[in-house]
Amino acid sequence: MKAGKLSDALKKGAIWGFILLELIFFSVAGQFLSLSDSAFMDLDNMLLLLKQSAPIGIIAIGMTIVMINGNIDLSVGATFAIAAIVLLDSMTWPIFAGLGDWVIPVSWLLALTVGTLLGALNGLIVWKTGVDAFIVTLGAMLGYRGMVFMFNGENPTSHLNWTLVDFAEAQLLGIHTPTWFLLGVTLAIWFVMTRTVHGRNAYAIGDNREAAVNAGIRVGPHMMINFAIIGFLAALSAVVFYSESGSVNPNDGQLYELWVITAVVLGGTKITGGAGSVIGTFGGVIAIQLLRKGLGHIGADTSTVNLVIGLILIAVLILDRQLNIRGKEELKL
Amino acid sequence: MKLRFALAATTAMAVMTGTASADTMKIGITQNNVGVDSYQTTYEKAFIAAAEANDAVEAVVLDAGGDVARQIAQMEDLIQQEVDAIIIWPTNGEAVIPAVRKAHQADIPVIVTNSNIAEPGFDFVASFSGPDNITQGSRSAEIMCDKFKEMGIEDEAQIVQISGQPGYTTAIERAKGFEDRLPEVCPNVTLMETQPGDWNREKSQQVMEAFLVKYDDIDGVYAGDDNMGVGALNAAKAAGRDGIIFVGATNFAVGYEAMAAGDYWGSIYQSPVDDAEAALQTALDVLNGKEVPFLNYFDTPKITQDNMDEFSKPVF
Repeated sequence: MKAGKLSDALKKGAIWGFILLELIFFSVAGQFLSLSDSAFMDLDNMLLLLKQSAPIGIIAIGMTIVMINGNIDLSVGATFAIAAIVLLDSMTWPIFAGLGDWVIPVSWLLALTVGTLLGALNGLIVWKTGVDAFIVTLGAMLGYRGMVFMFNGENPTSHLNWTLVDFAEAQLLGIHTPTWFLLGVTLAIWFVMTRTVHGRNAYAIGDNREAAVNAGIRVGPHMMINFAIIGFLAALSAVVFYSESGSVNPNDGQLYELWVITAVVLGGTKITGGAGSVIGTFGGVIAIQLLRKGLGHIGADTSTVNLVIGLILIAVLILDRQLNIRGKEELKL
Repeated sequence: MKLRFALAATTAMAVMTGTASADTMKIGITQNNVGVDSYQTTYEKAFIAAAEANDAVEAVVLDAGGDVARQIAQMEDLIQQEVDAIIIWPTNGEAVIPAVRKAHQADIPVIVTNSNIAEPGFDFVASFSGPDNITQGSRSAEIMCDKFKEMGIEDEAQIVQISGQPGYTTAIERAKGFEDRLPEVCPNVTLMETQPGDWNREKSQQVMEAFLVKYDDIDGVYAGDDNMGVGALNAAKAAGRDGIIFVGATNFAVGYEAMAAGDYWGSIYQSPVDDAEAALQTALDVLNGKEVPFLNYFDTPKITQDNMDEFSKPVF
């Protein structure tokens, strides 16, 4: 029992220990290697870090629930791109021409609705067909991406609205707009997962789906809601990001699903479901962005960043396995 | 010059600690997608070499990996690091405009390299350094016209055009340069039809196959780049149609080889080394307060079977 507690504490603390390690390393290495005169731990630089974490981070928070549920969503990158196109394109629709800048909230709402619906569609298929979420969302990933290319071919979809850019670039209390969204989403989903019946059910279903069914939890609708949430968050991420950059390439958001899953796993969520935390995922997101930023700060290649993150991911999984003997016994195929 | 790579970190540390002096210029570059093709890879190597050769330059070399979000983050990081100038090879000519504006507001001059950003961003850019696609197009027209004159068919020749991807500035400008210049030098040459080949060799081959069925007499083909030109050449070869003059733009290795084999007449030589060196030079000129034209083109000469031995084979 004691050993279990210790390994639990180690696992939960691991990501924060890792972040601390990164901060120390880049601060020291930055002294020698960086061209910048300002320190890596500079407040502005850290605020920028949070802001740059937002696109992946907002989606990763949603992925945490889906993965705790024992599912996965590979279509988030494509949903992200579709929401971005809806956002930017709808601002130029003639029916909204009379709205002036009031078109902004309308376009936001449209993009978020589309994202939610696409997510719910995934959930509905998983619920009604019983096909594994991996396969369903793999199909959705290809299908949704196909829709992106059908919309405008290989060309980018663009609309630059300076009012929107100014809003997205604003710093309320020194904190960037995207950061506020990231923090808000993290807080909201943390609340759902730890303080509500829906959250408790999510863990129960991921831990043992059959037992959850027997306990009277309506597993299908529950999972559909979670897919709708992640669809909404993928769209929110797009809406926040593209407010600041008024143009979307048809391949934008590609590989986001993998970065998001990496962040969630780094944060200690079990791939088989039943365990994990939103706060851990937040740590995972920060750890990845810190690594990207830090390696850039000391002048490393982009490819080095990917290599290092890959190695760390595998190391984390091995560590997790060693620490979690109970997990081994529970391994279900 | 001090340049940093993780792998060189240990050796670099000894060399550079404390040697940063006040009068060196810190120049950051964020590239589009190094490694996706050899043009961009060669560009990066040439840029690093040029920066290393100049004692007054410290370069931060970054690559966005084709990801707009990462490029914007890199712009923000470079602004945060207070570099003296930023060179950007845009991943998306419009998406980076707000980031470029941020640099402009922080009084950091931005130099756009290779492909320009969209017009709403021009106010925030110090200079664009890159190839002049209009000139490239008109030079291709001259190459073709000169060859027709040499063959004595300048009054009857009929040609077709295979253009680049619709919507791409490069494609539009090259076609415009060609179409405007051709009637000036060879007024009696007829451009029968233009179809997009989407920068793709297979697509261009199909387009050319259709042209060959449709037109019994084709004397020349102008393609928006050599990749497409060689696709068209393959179609003509397969159909057994000889004597067609192929002219491209942006000489690729495949085009160079086809020229060496005598199948392909000419193209435009665009060197990634010149591209990179021009970008760095433009940044230095801006920082040194020299007058730099807003559109600062580097030269892209004509290359034909006649003068190809003056050029080394392109790496891409």
